[in-house]
Amino acid sequence: MTADTGTAGAGHGGVIHDIGYRRYEGPRLGRAAIVRALCWHSLRSAFGIGRGAKAKIVPVITFVIMCLPAVANAVSVAQGSPRSIPYDTYIFQLRVIVMIIFIAALAPELVSRDLRSHVLPLYFSRPLRRLDYPLAKLAAFILACLAMIEIPLLFLYLGTITQAHGGSAIWHETRALIPGLLIGLMWAVLLAAIGLVLASLSGRRAYSTGTIAIFFFLTWILAGILDKVSTGQGQPFRGVGGQVATTGAQLSGLVSPFTVLDGTRQWLGGTSPGPIPPPGNYGPLYGAMLLLLLAAALTGLAVRYRKAGVA
Amino acid sequence: MTARLPLRAGPAPGAPDSTAVIETAALTKRYPAGVTALDGLTVTVGPGITGLVGSNGAGKSTFIKILLGLLPITSGRAAVLGHDSARDGEQIRMLTGYMPEHDCLPPDVTATEFVTHLGRMSGLPPTAAKERAAESLRHVGLYEERYRQIGTYSTGMKQRVKLAQALVGDPRLMLLDEPTIGLDPAGRSSMLDLISRIGAEFGISIVVSSHLLGEIEQICDHLVAIDGGRLLRSDSMTSFTEVSQVLVIEVDEGMGKLLAELAARGLRPQQDERALLVQIETDATYDAVRDAIADLGLPLNRLEQRRRHVEELFHDNENEEEARRDR
Repeated sequence: MTADTGTAGAGHGGVIHDIGYRRYEGPRLGRAAIVRALCWHSLRSAFGIGRGAKAKIVPVITFVIMCLPAVANAVSVAQGSPRSIPYDTYIFQLRVIVMIIFIAALAPELVSRDLRSHVLPLYFSRPLRRLDYPLAKLAAFILACLAMIEIPLLFLYLGTITQAHGGSAIWHETRALIPGLLIGLMWAVLLAAIGLVLASLSGRRAYSTGTIAIFFFLTWILAGILDKVSTGQGQPFRGVGGQVATTGAQLSGLVSPFTVLDGTRQWLGGTSPGPIPPPGNYGPLYGAMLLLLLAAALTGLAVRYRKAGVA
Repeated sequence: MTARLPLRAGPAPGAPDSTAVIETAALTKRYPAGVTALDGLTVTVGPGITGLVGSNGAGKSTFIKILLGLLPITSGRAAVLGHDSARDGEQIRMLTGYMPEHDCLPPDVTATEFVTHLGRMSGLPPTAAKERAAESLRHVGLYEERYRQIGTYSTGMKQRVKLAQALVGDPRLMLLDEPTIGLDPAGRSSMLDLISRIGAEFGISIVVSSHLLGEIEQICDHLVAIDGGRLLRSDSMTSFTEVSQVLVIEVDEGMGKLLAELAARGLRPQQDERALLVQIETDATYDAVRDAIADLGLPLNRLEQRRRHVEELFHDNENEEEARRDR
């Protein structure tokens, strides 16, 4: 057995043949620090840090694609044009597609792996409480989504203010940016929660990825179809020209998380045209739907991890 | 292969003093489906290595999960290292290393990364976690291979990683659930050596569960046997294997002649497969046996006082139980 050969080096000024077992006398961190460590570890693994090159492909590519509009904006602003991308919606379609890919690829990385290899009993036999695990994972994934959404916004902002003249112009940009950042936070929280709960349904990464992609894509397409059908062919309503949207069109956005996010944005005062007509009086319904979706996702996570891993 | 360690007389140096490591009183666990996993279990486990034996489904795993504070108790009480398992599960888990029965390792990370991460999860600061992960892997004999992905390991090496992750937080107590399961005989015996080393030299108390008594009896100081969620017997290993007043004589040939000779000398020899058993009455019995063999000029192979085998005691106990139930 190799265990007997002391290989951990000699002590001060003398040869130690076999240091044997050494007790740990240092500090032990509490539960909060352990949860933070788990969150940090998960955040790193969301971007493939500490893993092989293969694990970095999706996060890097999606991040770069997400940043392209901000870069293009910086170039066009440098040539004298005004900022062309709104902070509150960014490029909506691009954001939807990139986030679906990012979440479908990486939420399973955070939770399905542990389910698949049955690592959970090892976490739960440590000084963590039952819900600390999903909480740390959720916090990590919200931060990951936040980075995906907000960093391009910051690039957009920086690219614009480099050409801004005077404090008032910069202040104007900053005031436009802040609601954009808050809406990005709303996106990150809701999408991360939905993504994680869907991923936690299966230990098989392929199934989890499929479930997430299908859920987000189908509801997104469905919302589009409902909008079209209720608005009527040939009368596309896009918030301009004083045309009033039909009730059906106003409600069509409730079926997809992305359109719920956008309906809430418009209800809260977002001015840029979005993928759905302004919800009008139904605005609060979008806000309620957002909270409902979030609550459902969080409850799902709690239920999923209340029992997992002990048996 | 190192020699088996002799049974230890007292607690190992550095072990928590004579206070009980585990103490339960009328511990009962009923699952919602109506299955009673533990039924009024009262047992005290001291420092050292304790074997937890029982057939599959006897309640061993449930017992361990209750000790870790992972399962709610239906009634009764359980304390580990002086902490109540229903109330202070976190403290218990801070001081306890757990090795689950089933496979629990991700294939695509290295042993070092994995054990380091779980060291962090045990509350070690980053640098300490790294150091202790390397040390734990060295203790379980995986120092050379520690940068390989776990998926490339053999079953025996995986079991060692599971042991290392239980050791990484420098626990006062280790709960090992069927650590030898799935191992070949060589792997089994080196795993048992390792456990016995951890218990004896590292001063960590160990509870090791197994459904095969013969396997763990050699490394235990104490045995707890449960069946159907109830305590069958809890005793020190020495009392289990007391020498009996029976002499075992084994000769290479001439067993029949010896049998007749011993009977002629006034002993009552019994044949037991390839050995003769003689009841020891006085010291003269030894002389009579010696003289008989010498006079016949037989090649003596074995002459010893028989040790009672632990399995027999459990069977005796079970038989008694059955007899009592029948009455």
